[in-house]
Amino acid sequence: MHIPDGYLGPLTCGVMYLVMIPIWWMAAKAAREKLGDKSVPVLAMLTAISFLVMMFNWPVPDGTTAHMVGGTLIAILLGPWAAVIGVTIALVIQAFFFGDGGITALGANSFNMAFVLPFVGYYVYRGMRKILGDKPSSEMLAAGIGAYVGINVAAIAAAIEFGIQPYISPGYCPYGLNLAIPAMAFAHLTTAGPVAAVVTALVVGYIRKNRPDLLAEAAPAEG
Amino acid sequence: MEEWMKKAWIAIGFFVLIVPLGILITWNYGDAWGEWGSVSDGNTTWVPKEYSGGAPLPDYNVPGWENKLMASLGYWISAIIGIVMSVITVLGVAKAIELWRRE
Repeated sequence: MHIPDGYLGPLTCGVMYLVMIPIWWMAAKAAREKLGDKSVPVLAMLTAISFLVMMFNWPVPDGTTAHMVGGTLIAILLGPWAAVIGVTIALVIQAFFFGDGGITALGANSFNMAFVLPFVGYYVYRGMRKILGDKPSSEMLAAGIGAYVGINVAAIAAAIEFGIQPYISPGYCPYGLNLAIPAMAFAHLTTAGPVAAVVTALVVGYIRKNRPDLLAEAAPAEG
Repeated sequence: MEEWMKKAWIAIGFFVLIVPLGILITWNYGDAWGEWGSVSDGNTTWVPKEYSGGAPLPDYNVPGWENKLMASLGYWISAIIGIVMSVITVLGVAKAIELWRRE
């Protein structure tokens, strides 16, 4: 889902950076209010996990690959604004140090993976918890469903961003929406989505046993 | 550090050890859809075709380490460096936010 340099025209890159500025600002403000001493080492660890899980590429039956991101996991444990910070940091390191994801596309990649993904994942998780109840198994299921929906919506967002290029910025990504959306949806519905669901559910299950307070903060009852 | 986090870091260490699987099981596959290194017929007028020329470890590998063994080693090194950088950056950002809070 890491869009490289040269795929998005200047207009899209600029707009996505502009969209991210208030989001990064809100995330910093949320961290200023809420990110306590106890949460910082957890966020550091989860950001490392996000970086690592993105290195596990999974084969997609059509011959491409896909990977999970870990954004929903961070959002469930520390809140979606913390996920914005953690995943953005991972993306910045990937873009500048490993050439994974373009620097011009960093706004777009952050929007998809550090904003859309954790927020969708988080609110789906909360909705599912209301429906499924508070049993540990329900919580894991809710986390898995949240992660699955989150990564797929993020993949569609990425597909729309590069799929509109032929119409607005000819000469960049040559594939229109008719190709981009099915390709991205297929990879994430079949491969990265299920991986994200299983990993997120297992880690949430582990955390529930050890740090139930983290999950309590994210519980629907607390608003 | 709390006990559960120690255990979690050990688990992370295990997944770092097996991280070369991330390239080995997809060795003969193409890139992720939309993550190709460069657009062959794309526009290169305002951005470099690929910035990777400036990234020290492009594609999570040491440049030139092409075969499966060396690429796995490069991938492994990349994972460790990336994790260390992630932790340091989060701690740095958290510190900056902490200073901001005290203002």
